[in-house]
Order: sequence, then structure tokens, then C-alpha cells
Amino acid sequence: MIPMHEFLLRCRLEHESLQAWIAAGWLATPETEPEPAFSEVDLARAQLIRDLRDDFGVNDEGISVILHLIDQMHGLRRSMQEVLDELRAVRETHHESR
Amino acid sequence: MNEDPYAVLGVKREATQEEIRAAYRNLAKQLHPDLNPGDKKAEEKFKQVASAYDVLGDPEKRARFDRGEIDASGTERPRERYYRDFHGSGAQEHAYSTADGFADLMDEDILADILGRARAGHDGGQFRMRGSDALYRLAVEFLEAVNGATKRITLPDGGILDVVIPPGTRDGHVLRLRGKGRAGIGGGPAGDALVEIEVRPHKLFTRKDDDIHIELPISLTEAVLGGKLDVPTPSGPVRMTVPKGANSGTVLRLKGKGVQRKDNRGDEYVTLKVVLPQPSDPELEEFARRWQAGQRHDPRAHLEA
Repeated sequence: MIPMHEFLLRCRLEHESLQAWIAAGWLATPETEPEPAFSEVDLARAQLIRDLRDDFGVNDEGISVILHLIDQMHGLRRSMQEVLDELRAVRETHHESR
Repeated sequence: MNEDPYAVLGVKREATQEEIRAAYRNLAKQLHPDLNPGDKKAEEKFKQVASAYDVLGDPEKRARFDRGEIDASGTERPRERYYRDFHGSGAQEHAYSTADGFADLMDEDILADILGRARAGHDGGQFRMRGSDALYRLAVEFLEAVNGATKRITLPDGGILDVVIPPGTRDGHVLRLRGKGRAGIGGGPAGDALVEIEVRPHKLFTRKDDDIHIELPISLTEAVLGGKLDVPTPSGPVRMTVPKGANSGTVLRLKGKGVQRKDNRGDEYVTLKVVLPQPSDPELEEFARRWQAGQRHDPRAHLEA
């Protein structure tokens, strides 16, 4: 886990911004007590948000939409992968039994 | 990564900061790895673009680069892992993982079955799926398409497919052979074979809808005196009467000698073409010189330029 101060440093973020991002639901609320800590996933997600905001000029409403769609896409890609793995396994069994 | 950052961003050396920023935004939006999770090349290109913008996006650094004090690679920004790296097969579920994108699809038994089993880590054996359709192209001779035929295709895997070409098949027609496609999976039915027919041209016949057209050479004698002569049709030669005084361009119809239709046949149209003997016949020349009516006859009288 990454402690708060390191997290802010590594994604070049102000403390207030982080609070706002968590409040907006862009980042998950850190559950660790008493000192909040973050995961590598949180860090990568925060950097994506920063790219979208600072470099692409996406406004705050747009960020929520994009994050939601990206998360859905990853869910779909994962399921697709599982379906393909399953098909491959079935096809191999099928070939062997022929 | 020593490429000219101006070239990487596609801007001129005298571009304004605003133009550079716009160019970067445009490229970054297309190339950002998190917006292209399946494209490994996007990351490399994105790095180049980001690195170029690191230099040119900052007026101070840009001025130093222009003066040659720093090179294009001097300031590459170290990037940690992208968000996309935390997804994909083998990745842990985490706070942002979602299955909302296909919640409606889970009503499909197959998908629910596979995903349920894959998540539970079992190996499947119950999965059934119809085989996919196989596509083939088959070139057939003109007369085979008109009259119908049976053709044999040898498949890439050594199998054999007998294709019945129905009479009157047109160029580009796709025949569907049920159950002759790829094998099904887990006991599922086989797919279909789709065979696209290509009809080769014929040296005498052409086809227009369900009619056959042919150009028929006739001799001067046959043209002048008329007579009975044999005409090729797709179903074999047919005797046809040429009337006295037939001309080049005269079209005669052979009813029902065209292409098979559901309950009748198209027609064959025969366009006559008078052909003089080659080499020229001295007696015919002599006759033409003496023939006074022929010299008075003006076939172009009605032509007005």
C-alpha cells in the first residue's frame, strides 16, 4: 500500500484535489485506518484522471462518463477473454475426441 | 527517442504554444493507452508524443531545445503503470471492476454458463455451439450455369463437397448448403457452406436476364435468298428459317430457347451478320460492277449529319 503523502507526490496531486476526486467517486475511498493508504490501481487511475483533465481538457462531467465507460470496457474485455479461453478449451477437447 | 519533437507532433517550428498544445491534445486523445487497452503500439507512440510535448509544451524548454542546449530525449517523463495494466486476464478484481457492461447479456444461458464456470475455475464439457459457416467461391462454365450441373469442390482439409448448380444460376449467386460448413462444438449442429458462383463468359452466347443473345454470321447467298440454317443454343443446335432479304443487324427470336425460369424459359435472340467471302470472289465483283440497281441504291439516303 502507498501512504497518502507518497501517493500525492507520485501522481503530482494536491491534497484538496484528492479529496474532491474521492468525493466525486472517481477514486475509491481508502479503507485503511487510521492513516489512509492507496493501492497501485488507485495510483494508475489517478494518473489517468490527471491525463484526461490536464492534457485532454476533459471537464469534470466528462471524466465521470469516461471512467464509467472505461471500467465497463475492461469488464467486457475480461469476460470476452474468459469466453475465448473457454472456447479454446472446448475446441481442443473436441479435436482430441475426433 | 531522438526524433524531432516538431515532427512527432506534426507542427511547424514557428508554431505558437497554443498550436502545439492543440496538436498534442489531438494526438494524445487518439493514442492514450487507457483509451486503447488492446493496442500495444499505442503506448509507444503515446510515449513519443508525450516526450515531444514535454519539450515543446514548456516555452522555456522549447527555447533551449531550439538553441540546441537540450536534445529531444533529455526530458522523457518516466511514466508509472497505466490503468489498463490492472485489468485483463489474471488481474485481481478490485474496487473499480464492474460487470455492468454485460448484465443484460447474462440472461443468455451460454454466457452465464461460461462466465459462471470460468469464474468458478471449473473445466467445461457441456458447452454446445453451432459450427461457423464456411465460404467458398466456385467458377462454372456459362453452359453449366444455364443448364444446371453438379460440381465437386475439394476442401482445404481434403473433404469433398458436391454442389448442385440449379439451371439458370446467375453470376454472383450464393448457394447455401445446409450443414456443410464447419463442425459444431460439443455436439452442436454444423454450420452451412456458402458457395458463391462465378459464371465464366462464353465465346458465342451472352446472357441478359433470362434471354440468350448470339451474333450469327450468314453468307451473302443466305441473306439474299433466305433459307434454313442451324443456330447454336444452350440446349443444342436448332434449325431456324432466315427470311429472304435478311440484313446485317436483323434480329430473329427463338422462343423458349433461353434460360430456364420457374415455369417457362427465356428466349434466344439471334442477330444476323452478313459476311462476304474472303478473299473477294472475282465473279461477285464482276456482278457488282454490272449490277445497275445496286449502284443506284443508296442505303444512307435517310442519314443526315
